[in-house]
Amino acid sequence: MTNTRKRASKAYQPPIVLIGLVLVLALSGRPVSADPQHDMLLFLSAEGRNTVSTSDPALEGFDDHLAADFLYTFNSKRFRFLAEYLLSDTESELERFQAAWQFDERTMLWFGRFHSITNFWASEYHHGQYMQTSISRPGIEEWEDESGPMPSHITGLLLEHEFVRNNRSVVNFGLSSAYAPSFVGQRLVPFDILDPGSDHELAASARLAYRPDILSTNQIGLALAYNNIVVDSASNPNLVDLNSIRQATLGIFADWSLNDWRFLANFVYFEMDLRYGAGTVQDSFVLGYVQADYAIRDEWTVFGRAEFGFNEDDSAYLQLLPAVIAHRLMLGVRWDFASSHAITLEVADTSTNGDGFTHDNFKQLRIQWSAVFP
Amino acid sequence: MERRVSVRVLLLSFVLLLALAVQECRAELAVVLVIDKNSPVNSISTLDIRKAYLGITVVVDGQIIRPLRSRHDDRLNQIFLQSIVAMSQRSYDRRLLSLLLKNGKPRPVEVDGHDKLLEMLTRRPSSIAYMWKSDADLDERIKIIKVLWRET
Repeated sequence: MTNTRKRASKAYQPPIVLIGLVLVLALSGRPVSADPQHDMLLFLSAEGRNTVSTSDPALEGFDDHLAADFLYTFNSKRFRFLAEYLLSDTESELERFQAAWQFDERTMLWFGRFHSITNFWASEYHHGQYMQTSISRPGIEEWEDESGPMPSHITGLLLEHEFVRNNRSVVNFGLSSAYAPSFVGQRLVPFDILDPGSDHELAASARLAYRPDILSTNQIGLALAYNNIVVDSASNPNLVDLNSIRQATLGIFADWSLNDWRFLANFVYFEMDLRYGAGTVQDSFVLGYVQADYAIRDEWTVFGRAEFGFNEDDSAYLQLLPAVIAHRLMLGVRWDFASSHAITLEVADTSTNGDGFTHDNFKQLRIQWSAVFP
Repeated sequence: MERRVSVRVLLLSFVLLLALAVQECRAELAVVLVIDKNSPVNSISTLDIRKAYLGITVVVDGQIIRPLRSRHDDRLNQIFLQSIVAMSQRSYDRRLLSLLLKNGKPRPVEVDGHDKLLEMLTRRPSSIAYMWKSDADLDERIKIIKVLWRET
Protein backbone atom coordinates (compact mmCIF):
# COMPACT_ATOMS: atom_id res chain seq x y z
CA MET A 1 0.00 0.00 0.00
CA THR A 2 1.34 3.36 -0.93
CA ASN A 3 1.31 5.79 1.89
CA THR A 4 0.57 9.19 0.47
CA ARG A 5 0.46 10.80 3.87
CA LYS A 6 2.27 14.05 3.85
CA ARG A 7 5.27 14.03 6.16
CA ALA A 8 6.28 17.39 7.50
CA SER A 9 9.84 18.25 6.66
CA LYS A 10 10.46 19.47 10.20
CA ALA A 11 8.12 18.43 12.98
CA TYR A 12 7.23 21.03 15.58
CA GLN A 13 9.40 20.94 18.70
CA PRO A 14 8.23 22.21 22.12
CA PRO A 15 9.97 25.49 22.99
CA ILE A 16 13.06 24.59 25.01
CA VAL A 17 13.36 28.22 26.13
CA LEU A 18 10.02 27.98 27.94
CA ILE A 19 11.07 24.79 29.72
CA GLY A 20 14.28 26.52 30.84
CA LEU A 21 12.25 29.47 32.04
CA VAL A 22 10.16 27.12 34.20
CA LEU A 23 13.25 25.79 35.93
CA VAL A 24 14.71 29.26 36.56
CA LEU A 25 11.45 30.64 37.95
CA ALA A 26 10.87 27.48 39.95
CA LEU A 27 14.10 28.05 41.83
CA SER A 28 13.42 31.73 42.46
CA GLY A 29 9.71 31.84 43.35
CA ARG A 30 8.13 31.90 46.77
CA PRO A 31 5.95 29.34 48.52
CA VAL A 32 2.38 29.33 47.37
CA SER A 33 0.35 26.90 49.42
CA ALA A 34 0.69 24.68 52.44
CA ASP A 35 -0.04 20.96 52.82
CA PRO A 36 -0.55 18.62 49.86
CA GLN A 37 -4.20 18.15 48.99
CA HIS A 38 -5.90 15.53 46.84
CA ASP A 39 -9.33 15.85 45.34
CA MET A 40 -11.43 13.53 43.21
CA LEU A 41 -14.65 13.93 41.26
CA LEU A 42 -16.76 11.45 39.36
CA PHE A 43 -19.22 12.76 36.77
CA LEU A 44 -21.82 10.28 35.60
CA SER A 45 -24.40 10.67 32.87
CA ALA A 46 -26.96 8.54 31.03
CA GLU A 47 -28.73 9.82 27.96
CA GLY A 48 -31.46 8.67 25.61
CA ARG A 49 -31.92 10.35 22.25
CA ASN A 50 -34.58 9.97 19.56
CA THR A 51 -33.90 11.35 16.09
CA VAL A 52 -36.38 12.07 13.30
CA SER A 53 -34.95 13.17 9.97
CA THR A 54 -36.61 14.70 6.94
CA SER A 55 -33.55 14.37 4.71
CA ASP A 56 -31.79 11.13 5.63
CA PRO A 57 -33.67 8.08 7.01
CA ALA A 58 -30.32 6.61 8.10
CA LEU A 59 -30.12 9.25 10.83
CA GLU A 60 -33.44 8.19 12.38
CA GLY A 61 -33.81 6.04 15.45
CA PHE A 62 -33.24 5.83 19.17
CA ASP A 63 -29.85 5.51 20.80
CA ASP A 64 -28.47 5.77 24.30
CA HIS A 65 -25.22 6.96 25.74
CA LEU A 66 -23.54 6.25 29.08
CA ALA A 67 -20.47 8.09 30.34
CA ALA A 68 -18.29 8.30 33.43
CA ASP A 69 -15.72 11.05 33.74
CA PHE A 70 -13.13 10.75 36.51
CA LEU A 71 -11.12 13.76 37.66
CA TYR A 72 -8.15 13.61 40.01
CA THR A 73 -6.17 16.62 41.24
CA PHE A 74 -3.15 16.97 43.47
CA ASN A 75 -1.87 20.23 44.93
CA SER A 76 1.31 20.77 46.91
CA LYS A 77 3.47 23.75 47.71
CA ARG A 78 4.11 24.81 44.12
CA PHE A 79 3.09 21.79 42.13
CA ARG A 80 -0.31 20.92 40.73
CA PHE A 81 -1.36 17.83 38.85
CA LEU A 82 -4.62 17.11 37.07
CA ALA A 83 -5.85 14.04 35.23
CA GLU A 84 -9.23 13.48 33.61
CA TYR A 85 -10.29 10.14 32.21
CA LEU A 86 -13.48 9.55 30.26
CA LEU A 87 -15.03 6.11 29.96
CA SER A 88 -18.18 5.75 27.87
CA ASP A 89 -19.96 3.25 25.66
CA THR A 90 -18.15 4.78 22.69
CA GLU A 91 -14.69 5.63 24.03
CA SER A 92 -12.14 5.18 26.77
CA GLU A 93 -9.66 8.03 26.76
CA LEU A 94 -7.26 9.98 28.92
CA GLU A 95 -8.63 13.45 28.18
CA ARG A 96 -6.34 15.61 30.27
CA PHE A 97 -3.00 14.78 31.83
CA GLN A 98 -1.25 17.91 32.93
CA ALA A 99 1.10 19.17 35.60
CA ALA A 100 1.80 22.76 36.61
CA TRP A 101 4.43 24.74 38.36
CA GLN A 102 3.00 27.63 40.33
CA PHE A 103 5.39 30.59 40.34
CA ASP A 104 3.19 32.64 42.63
CA GLU A 105 -0.48 32.77 43.51
CA ARG A 106 -1.35 34.29 40.11
CA THR A 107 0.94 32.54 37.62
CA MET A 108 1.08 28.92 36.51
CA LEU A 109 2.85 27.03 33.79
CA TRP A 110 1.19 23.80 32.69
CA PHE A 111 2.78 20.99 30.78
CA GLY A 112 0.98 18.01 29.29
CA ARG A 113 -2.24 17.30 27.47
CA PHE A 114 -4.94 19.87 28.11
CA HIS A 115 -8.04 21.39 26.57
CA SER A 116 -7.40 24.23 24.16
CA ILE A 117 -7.95 27.62 25.79
CA THR A 118 -9.56 28.88 22.59
CA ASN A 119 -12.35 26.31 22.86
CA PHE A 120 -14.51 28.28 25.29
CA TRP A 121 -17.00 25.55 26.20
CA ALA A 122 -14.27 22.96 26.76
CA SER A 123 -12.32 25.31 29.02
CA GLU A 124 -15.45 25.98 31.11
CA TYR A 125 -17.05 22.53 31.39
CA HIS A 126 -14.43 20.07 30.12
CA HIS A 127 -16.08 16.61 30.23
CA GLY A 128 -18.18 17.37 33.30
CA GLN A 129 -21.59 16.84 31.76
CA TYR A 130 -23.40 17.75 35.01
CA MET A 131 -21.79 21.20 35.02
CA GLN A 132 -23.31 22.37 31.74
CA THR A 133 -26.99 23.35 31.70
CA SER A 134 -27.71 21.80 28.31
CA ILE A 135 -27.18 18.20 27.22
CA SER A 136 -25.65 19.13 23.88
CA ARG A 137 -22.56 21.18 23.25
CA PRO A 138 -22.64 23.85 20.54
CA GLY A 139 -21.37 22.47 17.22
CA ILE A 140 -18.43 24.84 17.14
CA GLU A 141 -17.33 23.60 20.59
CA GLU A 142 -17.69 19.87 19.83
CA TRP A 143 -14.81 17.49 20.51
CA GLU A 144 -12.64 16.37 17.62
CA ASP A 145 -14.34 12.95 17.43
CA GLU A 146 -17.76 14.64 17.21
CA SER A 147 -16.72 16.64 14.12
CA GLY A 148 -15.60 19.71 16.03
CA PRO A 149 -13.99 22.17 13.60
CA MET A 150 -11.38 23.43 16.12
CA PRO A 151 -8.75 21.50 18.08
CA SER A 152 -9.91 20.69 21.61
CA HIS A 153 -7.10 18.48 22.98
CA ILE A 154 -3.57 19.72 22.54
CA THR A 155 -0.28 18.68 24.10
CA GLY A 156 2.42 21.13 25.11
CA LEU A 157 2.87 24.15 27.36
CA LEU A 158 0.31 26.56 28.75
CA LEU A 159 1.11 29.71 30.69
CA GLU A 160 -1.70 31.26 32.74
CA HIS A 161 -1.59 34.55 34.58
CA GLU A 162 -4.20 36.52 36.46
CA PHE A 163 -3.93 40.31 36.74
CA VAL A 164 -6.01 41.60 39.64
CA ARG A 165 -6.99 45.23 39.30
CA ASN A 166 -7.92 47.30 42.37
CA ASN A 167 -8.51 44.07 44.26
CA ARG A 168 -11.85 43.69 42.49
CA SER A 169 -11.67 43.18 38.71
CA VAL A 170 -9.53 40.58 36.96
CA VAL A 171 -7.88 40.03 33.61
CA ASN A 172 -7.01 36.39 32.90
CA PHE A 173 -4.33 35.76 30.32
CA GLY A 174 -3.40 32.44 28.75
CA LEU A 175 -0.76 31.52 26.18
CA SER A 176 -0.12 28.03 24.86
CA SER A 177 2.29 26.38 22.48
CA ALA A 178 1.55 22.77 21.71
CA TYR A 179 1.09 19.96 19.24
CA ALA A 180 -1.93 20.42 16.99
CA PRO A 181 -4.20 17.55 15.96
CA SER A 182 -3.84 15.95 12.54
CA PHE A 183 -6.69 15.43 10.08
CA VAL A 184 -7.58 11.79 9.50
CA GLY A 185 -10.63 10.50 7.63
CA GLN A 186 -13.45 12.90 8.46
CA ARG A 187 -12.16 14.47 11.66
CA LEU A 188 -9.31 15.99 13.61
CA VAL A 189 -7.23 13.55 15.67
CA PRO A 190 -5.35 14.89 18.71
CA PHE A 191 -1.70 14.18 19.42
CA ASP A 192 -1.30 10.82 21.15
CA ILE A 193 1.06 10.94 24.14
CA LEU A 194 1.67 7.20 23.68
CA ASP A 195 2.70 7.75 20.04
CA PRO A 196 5.05 10.74 20.20
CA GLY A 197 6.57 9.97 16.80
CA SER A 198 3.35 10.79 14.93
CA ASP A 199 3.15 13.81 12.65
CA HIS A 200 1.86 16.86 14.44
CA GLU A 201 2.66 20.51 13.98
CA LEU A 202 2.23 23.72 15.94
CA ALA A 203 -0.93 24.82 17.73
CA ALA A 204 -0.43 28.28 19.23
CA SER A 205 -3.19 29.96 21.22
CA ALA A 206 -3.76 33.08 23.27
CA ARG A 207 -6.75 34.04 25.37
CA LEU A 208 -7.65 37.21 27.25
CA ALA A 209 -10.68 37.35 29.53
CA TYR A 210 -11.94 40.30 31.54
CA ARG A 211 -13.97 39.74 34.70
CA PRO A 212 -15.31 42.99 36.16
CA ASP A 213 -15.91 41.43 39.56
CA ILE A 214 -13.53 38.85 40.99
CA LEU A 215 -16.39 37.36 43.03
CA SER A 216 -18.58 36.85 39.99
CA THR A 217 -18.26 34.37 37.13
CA ASN A 218 -19.14 37.02 34.53
CA GLN A 219 -16.52 37.31 31.83
CA ILE A 220 -15.97 38.56 28.31
CA GLY A 221 -12.93 37.80 26.22
CA LEU A 222 -10.97 37.22 23.06
CA ALA A 223 -9.25 34.06 21.85
CA LEU A 224 -6.71 33.72 19.06
CA ALA A 225 -5.30 30.54 17.60
CA TYR A 226 -3.05 29.33 14.85
CA ASN A 227 -3.12 25.62 14.04
CA ASN A 228 -0.97 23.85 11.49
CA ILE A 229 -2.84 20.61 10.84
CA VAL A 230 -1.08 17.75 9.08
CA VAL A 231 -3.41 15.78 6.80
CA ASP A 232 -3.42 12.01 6.34
CA SER A 233 -4.34 12.19 2.69
CA ALA A 234 -4.64 8.40 2.34
CA SER A 235 -7.37 8.17 4.94
CA ASN A 236 -10.21 9.61 2.85
CA PRO A 237 -10.68 10.04 -0.94
CA ASN A 238 -11.73 13.66 -0.29
CA LEU A 239 -8.28 14.35 1.15
CA VAL A 240 -6.24 13.19 -1.84
CA ASP A 241 -3.46 15.67 -2.62
CA LEU A 242 -4.31 17.74 0.50
CA ASN A 243 -1.06 18.09 2.45
CA SER A 244 -1.91 20.36 5.33
CA ILE A 245 -4.48 22.79 6.68
CA ARG A 246 -3.52 26.11 8.23
CA GLN A 247 -6.25 27.37 10.51
CA ALA A 248 -6.25 30.83 12.07
CA THR A 249 -9.14 31.77 14.35
CA LEU A 250 -10.30 34.84 16.20
CA GLY A 251 -13.08 34.35 18.72
CA ILE A 252 -15.07 36.58 21.02
CA PHE A 253 -16.88 34.97 23.94
CA ALA A 254 -19.05 36.05 26.84
CA ASP A 255 -20.53 34.42 29.91
CA TRP A 256 -22.80 36.87 31.68
CA SER A 257 -25.34 36.47 34.47
CA LEU A 258 -27.99 39.06 35.22
CA ASN A 259 -30.40 38.28 38.06
CA ASP A 260 -31.99 34.95 37.08
CA TRP A 261 -30.63 35.04 33.52
CA ARG A 262 -27.36 33.69 32.21
CA PHE A 263 -26.10 34.30 28.68
CA LEU A 264 -23.36 32.36 26.91
CA ALA A 265 -22.06 33.32 23.49
CA ASN A 266 -19.07 32.53 21.34
CA PHE A 267 -18.43 33.63 17.76
CA VAL A 268 -15.34 32.49 15.92
CA TYR A 269 -13.96 33.78 12.65
CA PHE A 270 -12.03 31.11 10.72
CA GLU A 271 -9.36 31.86 8.13
CA MET A 272 -8.34 28.63 6.42
CA ASP A 273 -5.61 27.63 3.96
CA LEU A 274 -6.09 24.18 2.48
CA ARG A 275 -2.70 23.34 0.98
CA TYR A 276 -3.04 20.94 -1.93
CA GLY A 277 -0.17 19.76 -4.08
CA ALA A 278 -1.64 21.78 -6.94
CA GLY A 279 -2.16 24.96 -4.95
CA THR A 280 -3.85 26.51 -1.94
CA VAL A 281 -7.59 26.89 -1.42
CA GLN A 282 -8.48 29.78 0.85
CA ASP A 283 -11.59 29.80 2.92
CA SER A 284 -13.13 32.02 5.58
CA PHE A 285 -16.35 31.77 7.59
CA VAL A 286 -17.88 32.49 10.99
CA LEU A 287 -19.55 30.04 13.35
CA GLY A 288 -21.19 30.95 16.62
CA TYR A 289 -24.03 30.60 19.08
CA VAL A 290 -26.00 32.38 21.75
CA GLN A 291 -27.44 30.46 24.71
CA ALA A 292 -29.76 31.85 27.38
CA ASP A 293 -30.52 30.12 30.69
CA TYR A 294 -33.34 31.30 32.94
CA ALA A 295 -33.50 30.02 36.52
CA ILE A 296 -37.18 29.74 37.47
CA ARG A 297 -36.17 28.61 40.94
CA ASP A 298 -33.01 27.18 42.43
CA GLU A 299 -33.95 23.73 41.07
CA TRP A 300 -35.51 24.55 37.69
CA THR A 301 -33.83 26.14 34.67
CA VAL A 302 -35.18 26.64 31.17
CA PHE A 303 -32.71 27.29 28.38
CA GLY A 304 -32.42 27.78 24.66
CA ARG A 305 -29.66 28.10 22.12
CA ALA A 306 -29.36 29.31 18.54
CA GLU A 307 -26.35 28.22 16.48
CA PHE A 308 -25.63 29.73 13.12
CA GLY A 309 -22.86 30.98 10.87
CA PHE A 310 -21.87 33.26 8.04
CA ASN A 311 -20.44 31.96 4.79
CA GLU A 312 -20.15 28.50 6.35
CA ASP A 313 -22.30 26.79 3.70
CA ASP A 314 -19.63 27.49 1.07
CA SER A 315 -16.68 26.46 3.18
CA ALA A 316 -14.31 23.94 1.59
CA TYR A 317 -12.95 23.04 5.03
CA LEU A 318 -16.36 22.27 6.53
CA GLN A 319 -17.11 19.99 3.56
CA LEU A 320 -14.42 17.73 4.99
CA LEU A 321 -16.43 17.46 8.25
CA PRO A 322 -19.85 16.12 7.17
CA ALA A 323 -21.17 15.72 10.74
CA VAL A 324 -20.30 19.25 11.87
CA ILE A 325 -23.36 21.10 13.21
CA ALA A 326 -24.08 23.99 10.86
CA HIS A 327 -27.34 25.28 12.36
CA ARG A 328 -29.36 24.39 15.43
CA LEU A 329 -32.28 25.80 17.36
CA MET A 330 -32.66 24.17 20.75
CA LEU A 331 -34.91 24.46 23.81
CA GLY A 332 -34.65 22.60 27.09
CA VAL A 333 -35.47 22.35 30.75
CA ARG A 334 -33.32 21.12 33.63
CA TRP A 335 -34.33 19.94 37.09
CA ASP A 336 -31.67 19.83 39.78
CA PHE A 337 -32.39 17.58 42.73
CA ALA A 338 -30.74 15.85 45.70
CA SER A 339 -27.84 18.33 45.86
CA SER A 340 -25.85 17.02 42.87
CA HIS A 341 -28.18 15.27 40.42
CA ALA A 342 -30.01 16.69 37.42
CA ILE A 343 -32.56 15.55 34.85
CA THR A 344 -32.50 17.47 31.58
CA LEU A 345 -34.84 17.41 28.60
CA GLU A 346 -33.85 18.99 25.29
CA VAL A 347 -35.49 19.34 21.85
CA ALA A 348 -33.58 20.59 18.85
CA ASP A 349 -33.94 21.27 15.16
CA THR A 350 -30.51 20.60 13.69
CA SER A 351 -28.66 20.70 10.38
CA THR A 352 -25.33 19.05 9.89
CA ASN A 353 -23.07 19.82 6.98
CA GLY A 354 -23.77 16.56 5.15
CA ASP A 355 -21.97 15.41 2.03
CA GLY A 356 -21.18 17.98 -0.59
CA PHE A 357 -23.19 21.16 -0.29
CA THR A 358 -26.45 19.65 0.98
CA HIS A 359 -27.32 19.69 4.66
CA ASP A 360 -28.73 16.79 6.65
CA ASN A 361 -31.72 17.99 8.65
CA PHE A 362 -33.14 16.26 11.70
CA LYS A 363 -35.10 16.86 14.88
CA GLN A 364 -33.93 15.41 18.13
CA LEU A 365 -35.43 14.77 21.56
CA ARG A 366 -32.90 14.07 24.31
CA ILE A 367 -33.28 13.20 27.96
CA GLN A 368 -30.38 12.91 30.35
CA TRP A 369 -29.59 12.14 33.97
CA SER A 370 -26.31 13.61 35.18
CA ALA A 371 -24.61 13.77 38.56
CA VAL A 372 -21.34 14.47 40.31
CA PHE A 373 -19.81 12.59 43.25
CA PRO A 374 -18.83 13.27 45.97
CA MET B 1 -47.30 43.76 105.04
CA GLU B 2 -43.50 44.08 105.18
CA ARG B 3 -43.13 40.39 104.41
CA ARG B 4 -45.34 40.75 101.28
CA VAL B 5 -43.15 43.63 100.05
CA SER B 6 -40.01 41.55 100.59
CA VAL B 7 -41.44 38.66 98.56
CA ARG B 8 -42.42 41.06 95.79
CA VAL B 9 -38.93 42.62 95.76
CA LEU B 10 -37.40 39.16 95.71
CA LEU B 11 -39.60 38.04 92.81
CA LEU B 12 -38.92 41.24 90.91
CA SER B 13 -35.18 40.83 91.43
CA PHE B 14 -35.39 37.20 90.23
CA VAL B 15 -37.26 38.20 87.05
CA LEU B 16 -34.77 40.99 86.46
CA LEU B 17 -31.83 38.64 86.89
CA LEU B 18 -33.43 36.09 84.62
CA ALA B 19 -33.97 38.74 81.94
CA LEU B 20 -30.34 39.83 82.24
CA ALA B 21 -29.15 36.22 82.00
CA VAL B 22 -31.25 35.62 78.89
CA GLN B 23 -29.93 38.85 77.42
CA GLU B 24 -26.39 37.73 78.19
CA CYS B 25 -26.96 34.34 76.56
CA ARG B 26 -28.44 36.00 73.46
CA ALA B 27 -25.47 38.34 73.18
CA GLU B 28 -23.15 35.32 73.10
CA LEU B 29 -24.86 33.86 70.03
CA ALA B 30 -22.40 34.99 67.42
CA VAL B 31 -20.28 33.42 64.69
CA VAL B 32 -16.64 34.42 64.57
CA LEU B 33 -13.65 33.88 62.33
CA VAL B 34 -10.71 32.30 64.11
CA ILE B 35 -7.07 31.58 63.38
CA ASP B 36 -4.19 29.98 65.22
CA LYS B 37 -3.10 32.14 68.18
CA ASN B 38 0.50 32.29 66.90
CA SER B 39 -0.44 33.39 63.40
CA PRO B 40 0.84 36.84 62.38
CA VAL B 41 -2.57 37.52 60.86
CA ASN B 42 -4.65 39.69 63.20
CA SER B 43 -7.35 40.97 60.90
CA ILE B 44 -8.85 40.18 57.53
CA SER B 45 -11.37 42.09 55.47
CA THR B 46 -14.87 40.77 54.78
CA LEU B 47 -14.07 40.79 51.05
CA ASP B 48 -10.96 38.67 51.57
CA ILE B 49 -12.89 36.18 53.70
CA ARG B 50 -15.48 35.81 50.96
CA LYS B 51 -12.78 35.48 48.32
CA ALA B 52 -10.97 32.79 50.29
CA TYR B 53 -14.15 30.72 50.69
CA LEU B 54 -14.96 31.16 46.99
CA GLY B 55 -11.65 29.55 46.07
CA ILE B 56 -9.78 32.74 45.23
CA THR B 57 -6.21 32.96 46.50
CA VAL B 58 -5.91 35.50 49.32
CA VAL B 59 -2.61 36.66 50.84
CA VAL B 60 -2.70 38.52 54.18
CA ASP B 61 0.49 39.61 55.93
CA GLY B 62 2.49 37.36 53.62
CA GLN B 63 0.38 34.32 54.48
CA ILE B 64 -1.76 32.45 51.99
CA ILE B 65 -5.08 32.00 53.72
CA ARG B 66 -6.40 28.41 53.81
CA PRO B 67 -10.12 28.32 54.58
CA LEU B 68 -11.59 25.41 56.54
CA ARG B 69 -15.28 24.55 56.51
CA SER B 70 -17.29 23.06 59.35
CA ARG B 71 -19.98 20.66 58.18
CA HIS B 72 -21.04 19.21 61.53
CA ASP B 73 -23.45 22.01 62.47
CA ASP B 74 -26.37 22.68 60.12
CA ARG B 75 -27.24 26.07 61.58
CA LEU B 76 -23.62 27.22 61.39
CA ASN B 77 -23.54 26.08 57.76
CA GLN B 78 -26.69 28.09 56.98
CA ILE B 79 -25.17 31.20 58.55
CA PHE B 80 -21.98 30.61 56.55
CA LEU B 81 -23.92 30.40 53.29
CA GLN B 82 -26.05 33.47 54.03
CA SER B 83 -23.56 35.76 55.72
CA ILE B 84 -20.17 34.84 54.31
CA VAL B 85 -20.58 33.65 50.72
CA ALA B 86 -24.15 34.92 50.14
CA MET B 87 -25.10 31.94 48.00
CA SER B 88 -27.36 28.92 48.10
CA GLN B 89 -25.72 25.59 48.92
CA ARG B 90 -26.16 24.47 45.30
CA SER B 91 -24.62 27.63 43.82
CA TYR B 92 -21.70 27.49 46.25
CA ASP B 93 -21.00 23.82 45.54
CA ARG B 94 -21.14 24.44 41.78
CA ARG B 95 -18.78 27.36 42.07
CA LEU B 96 -16.15 25.27 43.86
CA LEU B 97 -16.69 22.28 41.56
CA SER B 98 -16.15 24.54 38.59
CA LEU B 99 -12.79 25.77 39.87
CA LEU B 100 -11.65 22.24 40.59
CA LEU B 101 -12.76 21.00 37.18
CA LYS B 102 -11.29 23.92 35.27
CA ASN B 103 -7.78 23.98 36.64
CA GLY B 104 -7.55 21.71 39.64
CA LYS B 105 -7.88 24.46 42.21
CA PRO B 106 -8.44 22.80 45.61
CA ARG B 107 -11.73 23.30 47.44
CA PRO B 108 -11.78 24.53 51.04
CA VAL B 109 -11.11 21.56 53.30
CA GLU B 110 -14.28 20.30 54.98
CA VAL B 111 -13.93 19.17 58.57
CA ASP B 112 -16.34 17.06 60.59
CA GLY B 113 -16.20 17.74 64.32
CA HIS B 114 -15.09 20.67 66.40
CA ASP B 115 -11.98 18.97 67.83
CA LYS B 116 -10.67 18.07 64.40
CA LEU B 117 -11.25 21.63 63.25
CA LEU B 118 -9.19 22.97 66.15
CA GLU B 119 -6.45 20.47 65.42
CA MET B 120 -6.24 21.57 61.79
CA LEU B 121 -6.30 25.24 62.73
CA THR B 122 -3.29 24.84 64.99
CA ARG B 123 -1.45 22.51 62.62
CA ARG B 124 -1.63 25.03 59.76
CA PRO B 125 -1.18 28.57 61.11
CA SER B 126 -2.56 30.24 57.96
CA SER B 127 -5.86 28.36 58.19
CA ILE B 128 -9.05 30.19 59.05
CA ALA B 129 -12.35 28.77 60.23
CA TYR B 130 -15.72 30.03 61.38
CA MET B 131 -17.35 28.83 64.59
CA TRP B 132 -19.68 29.86 67.39
CA LYS B 133 -18.14 32.54 69.59
CA SER B 134 -18.97 30.50 72.68
CA ASP B 135 -16.80 27.65 71.34
CA ALA B 136 -14.00 29.98 70.31
CA ASP B 137 -13.88 31.55 73.78
CA LEU B 138 -13.19 28.16 75.34
CA ASP B 139 -9.97 27.40 73.48
CA GLU B 140 -6.74 29.30 74.13
CA ARG B 141 -4.95 27.90 71.07
CA ILE B 142 -6.95 30.14 68.71
CA LYS B 143 -7.81 33.82 68.47
CA ILE B 144 -10.86 35.62 67.12
CA ILE B 145 -10.04 37.95 64.23
CA LYS B 146 -13.54 38.93 63.13
CA VAL B 147 -17.16 38.70 64.19
CA LEU B 148 -19.01 37.41 61.14
CA TRP B 149 -22.57 37.23 62.39
CA ARG B 150 -24.48 38.14 65.53
CA GLU B 151 -28.05 37.23 66.37
CA THR B 152 -30.19 40.35 66.44
